[in-house]
Amino acid sequence: MNYQFKWSVLWSGQSGSWLLQGVITTLEISALAWVLAAALGIVSGALRTVPFRPLRAVGTFYVEFFRNVPLLVWMFFWYFGVPPLLPRAAQDWIFNHGAEFWAGMFALGVYHGARMSEVIRAGILAIPRTQFEAAVAMGLTTFQAYRLVIVPIALRLIVPPATNESLNLLKNSSVALTISVAELTFQTRQIETYTAKAVEALTAGTLIYLILCVGIAAVMARVERRFAIPGLIARGG
Amino acid sequence: MLDFGVISANFKFLIVQGLFGLGGFAGGTLRLAIPAIVLGFVLGIFIGLARLTPSRLISVLATLYVEFFRGVPLVMVIFWIWFIIPQILRLPIPEYGVALTAFVVFEAAYFGEIVRAGIQSVPRGQVEAATAVGLTRAQTMRFVVLPQAIRNMVPALVTQMIVLFKDTSLASIIGYVDLTKAAQIVNNREIKPFELYLFIAVVYFIFTYSMSRFARRFERRLTPA
Amino acid sequence: MKRLLGVVVALALALAPIAPVGAEQDTLAKIKETGVLTIGTRTGSPPFAYVNKNNEWVGFSIDLVEMLVKPEVAKAVGKAIKIEKKESTPPTRIPLLTNNSVDLIAETMTDTAQRRESVDFSLTFFYTGAQFLVKKGSPVKGVNDIAGKRIASQQGSTNAKIIREKYPQAQLREFPDQPAAFQALAQGQVDAYTNDGIQLAGLKAKAPNPGDWEVVGDFYSEEPYGMAMRKGDAKFKAAVDAGLKHGFESGKYFEIYEKWFGPKGDVPYPMTPQVKTYLLKQIGK
Repeated sequence: MNYQFKWSVLWSGQSGSWLLQGVITTLEISALAWVLAAALGIVSGALRTVPFRPLRAVGTFYVEFFRNVPLLVWMFFWYFGVPPLLPRAAQDWIFNHGAEFWAGMFALGVYHGARMSEVIRAGILAIPRTQFEAAVAMGLTTFQAYRLVIVPIALRLIVPPATNESLNLLKNSSVALTISVAELTFQTRQIETYTAKAVEALTAGTLIYLILCVGIAAVMARVERRFAIPGLIARGG
Repeated sequence: MLDFGVISANFKFLIVQGLFGLGGFAGGTLRLAIPAIVLGFVLGIFIGLARLTPSRLISVLATLYVEFFRGVPLVMVIFWIWFIIPQILRLPIPEYGVALTAFVVFEAAYFGEIVRAGIQSVPRGQVEAATAVGLTRAQTMRFVVLPQAIRNMVPALVTQMIVLFKDTSLASIIGYVDLTKAAQIVNNREIKPFELYLFIAVVYFIFTYSMSRFARRFERRLTPA
Repeated sequence: MKRLLGVVVALALALAPIAPVGAEQDTLAKIKETGVLTIGTRTGSPPFAYVNKNNEWVGFSIDLVEMLVKPEVAKAVGKAIKIEKKESTPPTRIPLLTNNSVDLIAETMTDTAQRRESVDFSLTFFYTGAQFLVKKGSPVKGVNDIAGKRIASQQGSTNAKIIREKYPQAQLREFPDQPAAFQALAQGQVDAYTNDGIQLAGLKAKAPNPGDWEVVGDFYSEEPYGMAMRKGDAKFKAAVDAGLKHGFESGKYFEIYEKWFGPKGDVPYPMTPQVKTYLLKQIGK
C-alpha cells in the first residue's frame, strides 16, 4: 500500500471552512467550560474550608467524585443519561438549542471544576499563616489583609498550575467529538472521511492544537514574569 | 423509572469483559491500564533523565518530545497511532497494541516532567557531597538523588497514574472493549444510559479513589516528622 | 516562538518514516502467512452486525463472511484460516482498510463511485435505500418534511452527505456510530434518524418497544451494500467475489438471508423480486 500525500485537500473544497468552524467551536466550548470550572472551583474550594461539616462534605464529595471518573464517561452521562430525567419542556428546549454542545460544555466544566478546586486549594494552603498574621500585626484589617496580601500572593501561586489546567481543559474538549460536538478533532475526522487523507487531516488538526496551546502558554509565561514578586516565587528559567 | 436490573443482567459482561478483558472481545480496562502505567513511567524516567543530561542534543530532543505531547490532545495522539502504526508495519495491529502504544508514548511526556521536577528538587549540595565522598555519577544517581527524588515525586506520580487510568476510557473510541465501551455496547441495546454510565462511574471511582487514598497514606509515612 | 518552530520541525521528523512505503500489498499472501482474515464490522447495526443479548458478536454480514467468503479464501491460500473481527464505523472504515488494520470491511457499507476511488468493492450483497426512523405519529413522513427539523445521521455515511448537500435546511447532527444516533432519537434529542431503510427496520425490531417506532418515506437514495477491500488487489477480490458468487449460485446466500430476514428471522424483510433480479444479474443470471 502506497500512501500518496495530497496536502491540497486541506485548502480545497470545504476543508478550510470546516477547520475554521472546528477551531471556533473548540474555543467556544472551552471558554464557557472554563468559566464554569473556575466558578465551581472557587465555590467548592471555599466550601471545603467553611467550619460546617455537611458543607465541607458536599465540597469534598464533588471534588473527589467528579475528578476521579473519566471525562468520557461524564460526556455520555450528561448527554445521554441526564436529559431524559428532566421535565418534558426543559428537554424540548435543550434539544432545540444544541444539546450536545451544552452537555459537552457541562461535562467539561464540571469535571475541570473539580480539578480546578484542587489547584486553588493547594495555592491557598501554600501561603504561610504568618503572612496573614504579619499583615494584621501591621494594622491591616482582615479584609485589607486578604485584598492586599493574601489574594495577590495566592493568585501568583495559582496562575501557573491553573494555566496548565486550563490548557488541559482546552485539549480535553476534543473528547466532546464522541457526542457529536463539531469541534476541531471532529472536523479533522470529517476531512479524513470525505477525502480519505488521514495524515494530512491529522497534521492540520495537530498543528492547530499545538499553536493554540503553545501560544497560550507563552502569553501566560509572560504574564507570570511581568507580575512576579522578586524573591518570593522562584521561577525556573 | 430507573431500572438497575440492567446492571445485574449484564454484570458479567461489564466486569469480566470490560474491566478485566476476559471474553470474546479484545478489551479490558485493567489489562490496558496496568501495563500502560508501568511502561509509561519507565519511558518517562528515561525522558526525564534525558532532559537533564549535559548533552545538548539529547536534552533538546527530550524537551521537544515533552512539549509536543503536552501540546496536543490525547484523542489526537490515539488517532495518529491508530492510523500510522499499521501503515508502517503493514500488518493489522490489535486495538490493544494501538491503545497501549498511544498511552505509553503520550503519558511518558507527563511522567518525564514529573521525574525531571523530582530530580531537580534534590538540593545541589547533596550531589556535591556525594561526589566529595567519592561516589561515581551513576552511584550518586542511584543511592542519593533518586531515592530522595522519588519521595518528592510520589504525589504527582500517583495523580498522573490516576489520570492515565481514567484516560484509558478513550481507547473505546477505536473499538477497544474496555469498561466504557462495554457499557456503551449494553446501552446500545437496552437504552439505559443513566443507570449504566452511573454504574461505571462508580467502578472507576472505586479504583481511582483507592489509588489516591493509598498515595496519601504513603506520603504521610514518608514525610519525616 | 523558537520553541514553536522546534515543535514543528519535530513533527515533520516524526512524519518522515511513513513517506517511503513499499510496493503493493498482497492480502492473500499475508493471510497465508498469518492464517487470519481480519474483518472490520459493526457492533450496533442489527441485523447485519451487532452484539446480541448474550453479548456475542453476530449478524448477516458476519455470516456471509464466515460461510461464503472464508471457505473460498481458505481455498485460495491453501490452508484453514480464522476470522478475526474488529469494530469499524463509517468514519473509521476506509482508514482501517488503507492502513492495513483490517483486510475486508463486511458490514453495511454502500458501494459508491466516490468510495471506489479509495477502495474496491465486492459483488453487491444487499440492496436498500435511505429512509427515516421516527417516533410513531411524527410530522416527519419523508425527505420533504425535514426542513428545520433535527435530523440524526452517522458521520461519514452516504446519507449524511446527501442531507448536508441537498437539504441544507435540515439541522443535521452527525454521530460517530449508529447506536449513539438511535439513542439521540429515542430520547428526543433529534426528530428523526436517517439511514438505510433496512438498518432502520433492524433498529426498530431490536428496540425495547418496537411498536413505538416507524420507518417512513420513500428511498431518497440507492444503497447497494458491498464488502470493501484495499484498492488494486485483484487476487483477493477474486476470492471474495467467488465466495459470494458461489453463495448466490448454490442458494446458500438465500438460506442465510432467510435466517436473518425471513419470517422467523430477526428482522422480517422479504426480498422483493426486483432485488433478487438485481443480485443475480451480477453473476449473469
